[in-house]
Amino acid sequence: MNPLLDDPRSWSARLRHSIDWVVITLTAAIVTLAVINLNSAGDGDWSGRVATQLRWIGLGSMAMLVVTAIDLRAVYRLAYAAYGFGVGLLLLVPFFGIKVNNAQRWLGVGDYRIQPSELMKVLIVLALARFLHDAAAKELSNLRRLVVPFVMVLLPAALIIRQPDLGTGIMLLLVSFSLVVAAGLRVRIIFAVLSAAVVSVAIGWSYMENYQRRRIDVWLDPELYADTDGYQTIQAMISVGNGGFFGRGLSQGSQNALGFLPEPYTDFPFAVFAEEWGFVGTAMVLVLFMSLTLWAVNLASQASDRFGSLLCVGVAALFFWHAVVNIAMVLQLVPVSGITLPFFSAGGSNVLTMMLGLGVLMSVSRSRHSR
Amino acid sequence: MISLHQKDDLRELRPRFQATVIFVALAFLALAGRLCQLQVLEADHYDRRAERNFIDKVDVEAPRGRIYDIQGHPLATNRSSYTLYITGWARFRLDPEGGVVSTPEGKREAMDDTTRDRILSLIDFIDEADRDKFLGLVEELRVDEAKGRYAQIARRNLSWEEYARIESRLEVLDPWVEIRESSRRFYPEGVLTAFVTGQMGNVSSRTLEGSPHLGYRLGDRVGQTGIERQWENYLRGRLGARWRVVDARRREVGDAPGWAVDSLPPVQDPIPGQDIYLTLDLDLQTVAYEAVSEKLAGAVVAMDINTGRVLATASVPTVDPNRYEQPIPLAEWKAWSDSPLKPFIDKAVQEHFFPGSTYKVVSALVALGDPEFDPDEEIECEGYVKFGKRKFRDTHVHGPMNLEQALVHSCNSYFYELAIRNTLSLERVEPVARALGLGERTGLGINGEVKGTVPTEEFEAREGTYQGGVRLNSAIGQGNVKATVMQIAVVYGAIANGGYVLTPYLVDRIETNDKKLVFSSQPQRRSEAPVLDASDRARIHAGLVGVVNHEEGTAYSERLDNIVVAGKTGTAQVGREYRTEGETEIEGWDTTADHAWFAAYAPADDPQIVVVALVVHGGTGADAAAPIVMRVIDHYLGDTSSETELRPRAYGVPPPLPGQQGDEASVRGGGLGKEGVP
Repeated sequence: MNPLLDDPRSWSARLRHSIDWVVITLTAAIVTLAVINLNSAGDGDWSGRVATQLRWIGLGSMAMLVVTAIDLRAVYRLAYAAYGFGVGLLLLVPFFGIKVNNAQRWLGVGDYRIQPSELMKVLIVLALARFLHDAAAKELSNLRRLVVPFVMVLLPAALIIRQPDLGTGIMLLLVSFSLVVAAGLRVRIIFAVLSAAVVSVAIGWSYMENYQRRRIDVWLDPELYADTDGYQTIQAMISVGNGGFFGRGLSQGSQNALGFLPEPYTDFPFAVFAEEWGFVGTAMVLVLFMSLTLWAVNLASQASDRFGSLLCVGVAALFFWHAVVNIAMVLQLVPVSGITLPFFSAGGSNVLTMMLGLGVLMSVSRSRHSR
Repeated sequence: MISLHQKDDLRELRPRFQATVIFVALAFLALAGRLCQLQVLEADHYDRRAERNFIDKVDVEAPRGRIYDIQGHPLATNRSSYTLYITGWARFRLDPEGGVVSTPEGKREAMDDTTRDRILSLIDFIDEADRDKFLGLVEELRVDEAKGRYAQIARRNLSWEEYARIESRLEVLDPWVEIRESSRRFYPEGVLTAFVTGQMGNVSSRTLEGSPHLGYRLGDRVGQTGIERQWENYLRGRLGARWRVVDARRREVGDAPGWAVDSLPPVQDPIPGQDIYLTLDLDLQTVAYEAVSEKLAGAVVAMDINTGRVLATASVPTVDPNRYEQPIPLAEWKAWSDSPLKPFIDKAVQEHFFPGSTYKVVSALVALGDPEFDPDEEIECEGYVKFGKRKFRDTHVHGPMNLEQALVHSCNSYFYELAIRNTLSLERVEPVARALGLGERTGLGINGEVKGTVPTEEFEAREGTYQGGVRLNSAIGQGNVKATVMQIAVVYGAIANGGYVLTPYLVDRIETNDKKLVFSSQPQRRSEAPVLDASDRARIHAGLVGVVNHEEGTAYSERLDNIVVAGKTGTAQVGREYRTEGETEIEGWDTTADHAWFAAYAPADDPQIVVVALVVHGGTGADAAAPIVMRVIDHYLGDTSSETELRPRAYGVPPPLPGQQGDEASVRGGGLGKEGVP
């Protein structure tokens, strides 16, 4: 039964009940701030990047509504197929991908460029949720049972890291791991995986390329590399601190307006925002992202089944890790990696991915009423 | 298919969700804490760092003090010019279109060969050496990153063509080249006052490294000679500073936003250098220079006998100080430094010569100091004197001579005879010569004065030139007696003013840029009491008047119609002078010819001015040097009815207020209570 089609209530009432207004409100707030900020970062220019971002937001919103309308059972059925489609796209990238700055990440579709690795983030959530739905929590202690999700995650992650796009690859691993943990992975295994990660990083350290190791060195003491690799980090910190409590005001941050802050559109939009809005604004953004994450967790606990619940957890993880890692990177709490801040960073595929995620979230939200 | 039987399983997940909520909250709390640290607790620190990023300090050069003559004619001023700065190391990336774009980050790299060659092609070099020098500097900046990372002065005084050429290509020459407005020194009178004003040059690396407290920067100009050098600390002023808004590429933001401008520190105005007013009278200087410049090499000095104010001082040949503001072709430079005419040497103070017969006044004074000497005794001049095995020649056979006649005729034999009688032994001459200021720097201060020599027997022994006859030669200003033109002027000034040896000076006063008096010079006498006895002075004076006014005087032919001048000719034999191999022949330059001297003061009855001229290898004093002196005296004391120009201000009369052409300034420089000449 499709409630949108068969519900006897009026169309508008049905829509009102089908839509999760908490998600919509939080998203609208974040998107508004993000667009204002992107405009500031681009020196008050409404054309170009901002227009593109707005187009993608419009497109993404429609996609979100479409996904909202899709019945969860259909999502369940299509999950593996969608995952397969995503991996297929990723496999195309090395052959047909567009190369920018030595990284081959994009596929051209007409005038548009999409980044399959971004889509993969939400597709892996669908596939893992279905797998974990089918597998009961207690089965997760069986290591043999874990081989399938392990391969399911590692295949696209490896493809993405090869592009190379270490940030997105790690993001995929983080989201997947969060999902498995939430699905009831035994604490012993969690610790085992975490220790394995630590050990592999330690071993990998000696195999790392010099520039990768240097990235860690820079993170530990950026002032030593103030003119070269540490420049971004230092300037970002200055921007944030320069914002002070109330901020410098829109497009009045010297760091951004005079070009001292590199990458204000992609990796460091939060630094622009922090300079212009101050602590008042940054606290607001933290509250918005945290609210969205916690609301998703709340939806997870209210979902009618394991599949819906895990979908919510996956979307929560997606937003949580993006927001936290990107902001932590700006604040020099973690090394610089190319992880974007949802909606703040210019990038169509990312906007689309996040909107799809929100659509999944609203779909689950809708389904909990119809149980 | 989804089935509801898994609801129980969902309940199982509750603890995981609760843990997740706590984890998420803690993570955001951590971020909030960090933001609080950066934006609240350490906000001031980052505020300052942000300002350090976009606020750039620019030195504001202080205008150098100007130099004027006594009437306010400018002798050294400033003109605006363009200076080329080159940065040898910069951060940049290659533009897809092949250009170079400077970037705020990344490794600094040295300038590439293409850019270097491009810069070289935009400058008009005067010769290969000029080009090599410039190239050497650029290469140095390319090699030495410590120097190359800052914009350094590479070439001053760009021509309009060079300026336009570079300015229109700045896009391509980005981040390497910059043109800044600056100023250059300008000497309106050029060669006329070359040795007085002196010239400027680049600060030496020795000064830069050895005396950092002086605050010079690489490429700064400092006075090298003359007043420019001696009074450098008064002239240079102090750097100011202004602040500008720059972007990440350190380029000034043309239309800086208000909030950025508001955070700039206030401008620190530079303190302009102080203006120097010289005692020099440009009119007189012009006459003096023109007169002496008719000769190949020589000098002339005119001094106020009552105060020691130098009214004119010129030396030829010389180099226009404006030339040093531009690169000088190596060939030309070499020609100057190799020239036997020594254009770099101020022949008024920087080189000493045999004073020749002008020294006879010293010998006469020594003789008068000997109680056994009778000035009226006549000594027979036979045209030569025999002493030991040597024969000392005279110019003529003068017949019987007393002291006054000996001066008038410039009879050598008379003084040889006194020397033979030991009236003029070196021991007796030396203290008198020193009392008159010989053998010591006059204290003028500029251009590295030399002392000259007053020989003693120890000196002669040390030099290995002692022999019995040396005192005969010394008595007539030969032998080892050496003096500068300025010293002779001081000696004759002392005779003119009744025995006061004065310290000549060139600086009348120093004023700040806003006309506040900083320094005002006072006449200085070497000793309180006159070094001459009044009757001795009268005898010598009579002789000197005779030189010009007695029919048989050596300078009678050069006398002036309306002014009675007292003076003494000198024709100093130079013997054989060394001549460098391959030296270019200069027409009219005979290194075996005598040095021509004439020292005089006027008017004879009430002396005001002493003028001394020297023509190097010029021949006889009367023919070569006396006309120069007479032209200067004639101009200074001659008919003033047609004069419309301001006359030099008398000593002690305050300068006219700005805008007021004071009549009192027309009083001729008398001084020390004496009246001006009618």
